[in-house]
Amino acid sequence: MARVSTRRIVLERTTALVVTILFLLPVCWLISTAYKPSNQIFSVPPRLTFTPTLDQFRAAFALFDVAALVRSSVIISLGTTLLSLLLGVPAGYALARSRSRYSAGFAYFFLAIRMIPAVAALIPFYLMMRDIGLLGSWWAVIVFNTMLNCAFVTWMMFSYFKALPPDMEEAALTDGCTQMGAFWKVAVPAVRSGIIACALFCMMFSWNDFLHPMFLTTLDAKPISVALLTAYGTKDITWGTLGALAHFSTIPIVLMALVMNRYFVQGATNGVQ
Amino acid sequence: MRTTFSDRRKIFLFLMAAPAVLYVAAVGLWPLAQGIGYSFYKYNLLRPARTQFVGLQNYVDIFADASTRTAILNTFQFTLFSVALQLVLGFALALLLWRDSRFNRIVLAFLLIPSTITPLVVGLIFKAMLGADYGIIGFFLAEAGIGPRTGLLTDASTALWVLILIDCWEWTPLMTLILLAGLKALPGDVLEAGRVDGATGWQRFHMLILPLMLPSIFLALTLRSMDAFRVFDSVFVTTGGGPNDSTNTLMMLGVKEGLQFFNVGFASAVGNVTLLFIALIATGLLLVVRRADVRINGK
Repeated sequence: MARVSTRRIVLERTTALVVTILFLLPVCWLISTAYKPSNQIFSVPPRLTFTPTLDQFRAAFALFDVAALVRSSVIISLGTTLLSLLLGVPAGYALARSRSRYSAGFAYFFLAIRMIPAVAALIPFYLMMRDIGLLGSWWAVIVFNTMLNCAFVTWMMFSYFKALPPDMEEAALTDGCTQMGAFWKVAVPAVRSGIIACALFCMMFSWNDFLHPMFLTTLDAKPISVALLTAYGTKDITWGTLGALAHFSTIPIVLMALVMNRYFVQGATNGVQ
Repeated sequence: MRTTFSDRRKIFLFLMAAPAVLYVAAVGLWPLAQGIGYSFYKYNLLRPARTQFVGLQNYVDIFADASTRTAILNTFQFTLFSVALQLVLGFALALLLWRDSRFNRIVLAFLLIPSTITPLVVGLIFKAMLGADYGIIGFFLAEAGIGPRTGLLTDASTALWVLILIDCWEWTPLMTLILLAGLKALPGDVLEAGRVDGATGWQRFHMLILPLMLPSIFLALTLRSMDAFRVFDSVFVTTGGGPNDSTNTLMMLGVKEGLQFFNVGFASAVGNVTLLFIALIATGLLLVVRRADVRINGK
C-alpha cells in the first residue's frame, strides 16, 4: 500500500477505538451491576459510582447451583461440538473429494439446513423426544443442536477441503496408505485450523443457545442460559444477582472467542469465499 | 486395477458422507416433514381427542387474522431495517479497520464481543438499561421527556425500533467481520491502479471498492437476513411480543402457539410459512449475488 499520512491513521484509529468502546459499554455496565449493592442499583437517579461488594455473587450462589448449571452448559456444548465434528468433517471431506456431479448440490443442501427456523422442526422433534423418552435430558438438546451444527460443519469443511489440493493424499494412497489413513493422517492435519474454527462456532452456538434447552430440558438438566431466564422471571432476584449469574454465561465464551480470535476471523472469512 | 480402486474410493467417500446425511435426514428433515403434516390438522396436545383434518385452514388463518398479519409485517420490518443499518455501520467499521495492523486486529477482537455473548443476556442488559424507573439510559430519557413515559420497550410505538437497535448493537460487529474478510480479499493491484490514476477517496469507494465488494455484501446480507428473520431470544426476554403485539414476530408467534399453548397444528403452519419466507429471501439475494458476480467477473 502507498504511504498514508500519520494524521489519517491516528484519526482512523481514534474513531475505531471510540466506536469499539461505545459498543462495549453495555457489557461493562452488566459486569459492573454484579458488584453493586442492591440499594445502589435501584437508586434514583441512577448513578455511575458505587461501593464494590461481592454480595450479589453470594446471592447468586445461594439461589442457584451455579456449578451444576455450568456443568450442563459444558456437557451440552462439548457433546454437540464433538458429535458435529465427528459427523461433519468426514462428510465435508467426502463431498469435496467426490467427483459426482451431485456433490456441490449436497453441500448447498447442508447449508440450507441453517435456514430452518426452530419452530418448524422443534415442535415435531419435541413430540418425537417425548415418545422415545429423551425429553428433559441433555441428550434431547445435543441431538437437535448436532443436527443444525453438523450441517454447518459439513458446509464449512467442504470449502476447506475443496481449497486443499488432493496431491498429497493421492501420493499417500500411491505409497500404499489406506483411504482412512490418507484422510486422517494427511488431509485432516492440513485443515486443522478449519476444524478449530468449526469447533469454535459449534461451541458458541450451543453455549449461547437457549430456545432449544428451554423446551427440551427439565430443571436438573438446564444450562445456564435457561437459568438466567428463570432468574429474571423471579420477583426477589435483583439485576445485580442476575449480573453475577450472567458472568458465568458470558465470560467463558467471550474469553474463548478472544483467545481463539484468529480462528474466529478465519472461519468468517471462509464463510464468505 | 484402476477401476477397482476408483470403485473402492467411491464406496469409501459414500460411507464417509452417509452418517451426516442420514443424521440430518432423521433429526432435521423428518421432523420438518411431520410439521408439514401437522399443519393440515387442528391439533392441540391438550385436546388430542379433538384433532381433525382442516386442510389449508391454518394457513388461511395466518394471513386472515389481524394479529398474525402484524407478526408477519413486524418480522419483515425488523429484518429490513436492522440488516440495512448493520450493513451501513458494518461497512463503515470494516473500512476503518481495513489496514492490517496489530492495533486493528486487537480492536476487532474486542469489537466482536457483542456478537459472542449470549443473546438472552443481550436482551437482559438492554431491558435493565432502558427501564424508565431505574435504568441508566431509560431514567434520563424519561427525565428529559424524550420518548414515552413508561420506557421505550413498553410503548407500542417505539418497542420494535428499540429491538432493531438492540439487534444492530449485537450483530453489526459480525457484519463488520464478514465485510472485512471481503475487503481483504480484494485484488490489491486494481485498487493501486485507481490510486495511481488519481481517483479521490470517494471515487475509489463507489467506483472500485463498492462494485468489487458486491458479492461479499450480498452474501453478508443473505446470512444476516436469514438470522434476523428468525429473531427470538432478544424479543422473548425484553418484550415477549408485546405491548399489543407490536413486537410480535413469526418466531415468537410460533413458539408461543406451539410450545406454550401446544397448538401444534397452527404453530407448524407458522413454522412452515417462516421457512418459506426465509427460503424466498435467501433465493432472491443469492440470485442477485450471482448476477453481480457475472457482471464483475464475467463468469
